Order: sequence, then structure tokens, then C-alpha cells
Amino acid sequence: MTHDWWKHLILTLGALIVIAPFYMMVSYSFKSPGEIDRGEGGFFGRQELMVDERCVQLRDPNRDEITTARTRFPNQTDRQIHTAMVAEATVDCSMRPVVFNYSKAFTEAPLLRYLLNGVIVTASIFFIQVLVAVPAAYALAKLKFWGREAVFSLVLFCLLIPVHAIALPLYIMLAKLGLTNTYAALVVPWTISVFGIFLMRQFFMTVPDDLIDAARMDGMGEFAIVWRVMLPTAIPALLAFAIFSIVAHWNDYFWPRIVVTGNRDLFTPPLGLREFKGDGDGSFFGPMMATATVIVMPLIVAFLLAQKRFIEGITLSGMK
Amino acid sequence: MAELAIENVTKRFGETEVLKGVSLTIADGEFVSLVGPSGCGKSTLLRLIAGLETQTSGTIRLAGQDVAGLRAADRDLSMVFQSYALYPHLSVRDNIAVPLRMRRLNGRQRLPVVGRFLPGAGGAERQLMGDVEHAATTLEIDHLLDRKPGQLSGGQRQRVALARALVRDPAAFLLDEPLSNLDAKLRIQTRVEIAELHRRLGATFVYVTHDQVEAMTMSSRIAVMMGGKILQCAAPEEIYENPADIQVAEFIGAPKINILPVDVTSDGHVGLLGRQLPLRLAQPETGARIGFRPQALRLSGADAGLTGVVAHTENLGSEVFAQVSVPGLENRVVMRADPAQRAALHLGATVGVDVDCTAALLFDGKGQRIRNVSVKTTPELAGAL
Repeated sequence: MTHDWWKHLILTLGALIVIAPFYMMVSYSFKSPGEIDRGEGGFFGRQELMVDERCVQLRDPNRDEITTARTRFPNQTDRQIHTAMVAEATVDCSMRPVVFNYSKAFTEAPLLRYLLNGVIVTASIFFIQVLVAVPAAYALAKLKFWGREAVFSLVLFCLLIPVHAIALPLYIMLAKLGLTNTYAALVVPWTISVFGIFLMRQFFMTVPDDLIDAARMDGMGEFAIVWRVMLPTAIPALLAFAIFSIVAHWNDYFWPRIVVTGNRDLFTPPLGLREFKGDGDGSFFGPMMATATVIVMPLIVAFLLAQKRFIEGITLSGMK
Repeated sequence: MAELAIENVTKRFGETEVLKGVSLTIADGEFVSLVGPSGCGKSTLLRLIAGLETQTSGTIRLAGQDVAGLRAADRDLSMVFQSYALYPHLSVRDNIAVPLRMRRLNGRQRLPVVGRFLPGAGGAERQLMGDVEHAATTLEIDHLLDRKPGQLSGGQRQRVALARALVRDPAAFLLDEPLSNLDAKLRIQTRVEIAELHRRLGATFVYVTHDQVEAMTMSSRIAVMMGGKILQCAAPEEIYENPADIQVAEFIGAPKINILPVDVTSDGHVGLLGRQLPLRLAQPETGARIGFRPQALRLSGADAGLTGVVAHTENLGSEVFAQVSVPGLENRVVMRADPAQRAALHLGATVGVDVDCTAALLFDGKGQRIRNVSVKTTPELAGAL
């Protein structure tokens, strides 16, 4: 064990490099803008009360409000009343940076809507991918038909095509069909996963033929075998594939950015981050990082729940 | 329950011809073993009967009906696999219930969750569960119904596989080396149980095995297969005592039969190692061989027909098998002896071996049995050996 210290050192360094951006993300989501700019306050920041300037500006009283407020401030001039009201607003708009960042994350953009979109899109993609990949993989692994090897070679070949290479033709096709700015545009291009077919096929190869023959003797047709026998035995492989698929499409920024051009109702969570881009009017790193934290949270929770299965899945597939 | 008739069936996998014209008729309620060394085509034949493979030519009839083109599911046969092939994700109860569910419930009733609330599903499911319990009780696995196959021992899995096969009362049972994954003790016990099950059900059993003991002890008839052909199909006693082919004689019987080369004179007299045997063939043969089972050999004095040195002994308790190397013979001769004779059979001892020529089996140059043998039991010839 003692002479393995250098392995652990390298692994620790690697882990630190991987964790650093997450550390920054979570830390920034706790800090005030000043602390972020100056790079101070440790992990949690000092959590001093801060004033949301925009909130104060929005509540800047106009003449009518000052007139109606006269009853609350008897015997004071309008200027005094104005000052008092601004002071009230300042108190109301003061909050801890963590509260500021996370409330902004949810109020500045319809983040819940984006999360819902993310769920709809990733779940539909995964569901249809399974619907296509499992029967295809079963046929490639267990059925004998003319040209099977050629078809499988094509599947392997498709693994080599990067998404970005076919993005433009895909976009044009969807545009011609009038499908841009729809859920279909977000889902349809991903429904056939060659990686899924390949992964499931490799798993099905390990399922003994006797099991399939037994199912045939028991009266099952080929589709019944796929859904009633192969799918349940392939749960570990399916979970591994689920995690690859869901992580990839939940985090995907590239494709939604291309096909969702105007309609904010279709934004997926990563597109939501753009809301805090803060072009001219300063940066919103705190709320942006809070949003990012909210977005990755479901994945982290899912990973922790499925951790054991996930690792099994990776060792099983031995790839990616 | 049905008669099974196989007529001139061949099967090719690419260039290799696995079955070279097999014909076999199995009567209703019969227990037929297909036995042979690995690669002889016995499992392929069983899979053809099951409908898991399609024959290249020939016909298979089940109860008089040609089953060509009929799916495995529609043939009303049950199969037990060597690996048991239980569904790993289902409990024992559900494993046994699968064949019933697939046949008695329709597609909609089989849907998960919703299915059981459809009209008729509840009653069918209750009846089906009754049958499952009954099958489980028959095989004494009713206490295991809620376990998963992964939690069972090999023997228990084997019983579940049997229960799954018998639950739906099929026309015939096909068993593909069902005992080969069990340990020796359990194998003997299960052997008896399967034979009893066959008697109780009175159903047709086709049993594939490479173990001749299993075939001998369980079957009403044995079909010995080699090189894609059935060499002989007969009752176990017949196969053992009257093999039609030298390969059958060599395959059946443990320890193996002793096969010795003999000389046949032009008038049909048979000679072994230069000594004349009291046997006579109707016509001369070249390359003829003689077979003696180990129990046809007896320990005798040094002036016996065969004399050799004890090279190895195997004491089985109730009997002793001695391997004797006889000068002039390529293979050792195996002889059965009583435990009382053990002292005379120590390693390196020179012993004489007498042969019982009435139990001799003669084969021609091609390995076919020579039936037309007359045995002379004249005193002077008997004394010569």
C-alpha cells in the first residue's frame, strides 16, 4: 500500500481538477457580487446583508405614491417622505447573498419551466431510444438473418459520426418540415442511439441462448421475448445507458441552442443560463451559478441514488 | 400425449451435415433417451423436435400431424434445458406461471398492472396459480415459490425448470442433459425422481444425455447416436447385451467393453492370439474383432487363454476391476473380479484370464455385429481356454 502513494497522489490531483469548477460554481452561488469580483469570502462568503440595487430602483416612489404615503409620514416634506420610502425599500431589498442568488435564479427566468422542459425532453429521448435500441440490439445479438454483420458494421460506423458534422443538414431538414421551435425538434434527432444499440447488443450477447429458447418454448413471440425477458435481464446495462443518455441530453446546450430560436417556453435548463449573460448591465455570476447549481442538482441526486448500479454499468460496458 | 415420428431427417449447418437421415418413432408415453458422445447431433435432433431449429429435409410428425413450419410455441412441447434457463428476474412462482400465462391469457390480460383488472383475468389468474401450486407440490418446491432463481441451489433450480415444463401438461417432454450440472449424488437422486415422474405422468419423454448410465437406468428405449446417425434404438438390455455396432458396444457399459482383434480361418474358426476359440462364423471375415464385457472375464490359473500382468486395479467395494496388460494386445484387458480375489490382483502380479465365449460379441471389419456365430461347448475346446 505504501508504495502506491504516488497513484493516490495522481488520482487526488485529477479529482481536484475535476471538482474545482464545481467548487467555484457552488461557492459563487453563495457569494455577493462584490465578493465574487474581489475573490474573497472563502467558500460560503461572509453572508453580510446586501442590497439589491435593481430592487431598490424598481421601488423608487413616484409622485402618486408619495402623495398616498403622506398619511403615514405626517408633517414631512415630500423630499423627506421620498428619502424615507427609499430607505424602507432599501431595507426590504436587503438580503443575504445566498438568498439573493437563488431567488434571482427562480424569479429572473422561468427556471421551473426550463427544468420541466428538460425533464420532458430527456425522458422522451430516453424512452424512444430504449424503444428502438432494445429490439434492434436483440435482433443484432440473437437473431440470424441475412446481412446481420453488415448492419452491425453500419451501427459501428455511425458511432464515428460526430453530432456537429450533421447538425446543419439536420437543422435544415427540421426547418423544411416546420419543426424548429417545437419539442419534436429537441427530441426526434436523438431517438435512434447507435451507442445504445451497441451497448445493449454487447450485453445481449452475454445472455444465454437457452433462456431465449426457453421463452420460445413457453409460448413467447419475439417481441414478448424482447420486453418480457431481455429487457428485465438487461436492467444494469439499461441503467448505464440511461445515465449516459440523460446526462448528455440534460446538459446539452448545443442542439437546443440551434433549434430553439425564439420561443423561451421551450428553453431547456442549459439555455436558461443565458438569461444571466448580463450583456451590458454588469454580470450576474451569483444568480447564474445558482441556476447552474439547481440544474446539475437532479443529476447529482440521481447519480448518488444509482451510484452502485452506475459503476456496475460502466464496468459492464467497459467503455466511455 | 402423442406419438412422435421422425422420418429421414437431415440437418446441415452450412457445410457440416449434423444429422444424416435420422428416423425414429417414439410411442405415446415412452421414455426414449438419445445418447451419444458430444457432437453426435443428439441435441440438434431434440431442437428440431422442439421447433427451435428447422430440418434441412425429412419430416417430423406429432400425433400424426406434420409440424413443419409450426413455431416452437405452437407445438405443445415442454423442454428442460441443461442450464435450466429460468427467468432470473422472476420469482419461482412467476417462472412456473409463464407458460400458462402465455397460453391462457390474451395479450391485453398479460399487460403489467392493468392486465389483472381486465374481465376474465382475475379468474384465469387464480386458476393458473392453483396449477402452479400443484406443479410445485408435485416437485416438492412449494416452499420456494417466492424466491428468485439466484437464491436457489442447482438441484432446486432443476426442479423449478421441471415444474415449469410439466405445469401445462404438454404432449411430450424434451429434456436436454438436465442432470449434467448437478453433483454426482444429486444426479443419482434426481435420476430416480425423473423416472418416477415419467411413470406417474405417463407422458412421452425424450431425454438427451451423454451419460450412458442415465440412459440405461431411466429409459424404455435408448437411441444411440454417433456421427449424425442413430446406430441402434432398442431397450436398454438389448442395447447392452446385443449391440448392433461396435461403437454402440463401446459406448454403452462401464468399464468399457474389451475389444480384441481375432483371426478367422477360411472355414470360419475364430482364433485369439494364436489360440482357437470355441466360436465359428458362417463365413470368413477379415479384420474381425471380438468383444468381452469385463464380467465375461474370470481370473484363473496361469495356463489360461490370456495371460498378463496386472497394471492397475480399481476397487469399487462390491467389485474390483483389474486392468491386465496382455503381451500381444495393444490395449489393456479389463476384468471384473470379486473383492475376495483382491489378493491375487496386486500390481505386477501375473494372472491368467478365462473368457466366457457364450457372452462374446463378434464384429466384422466395418464394425457391424456378426450375428451368425455358433458356439461349440465341446469339453476339449472349453478346456483349451
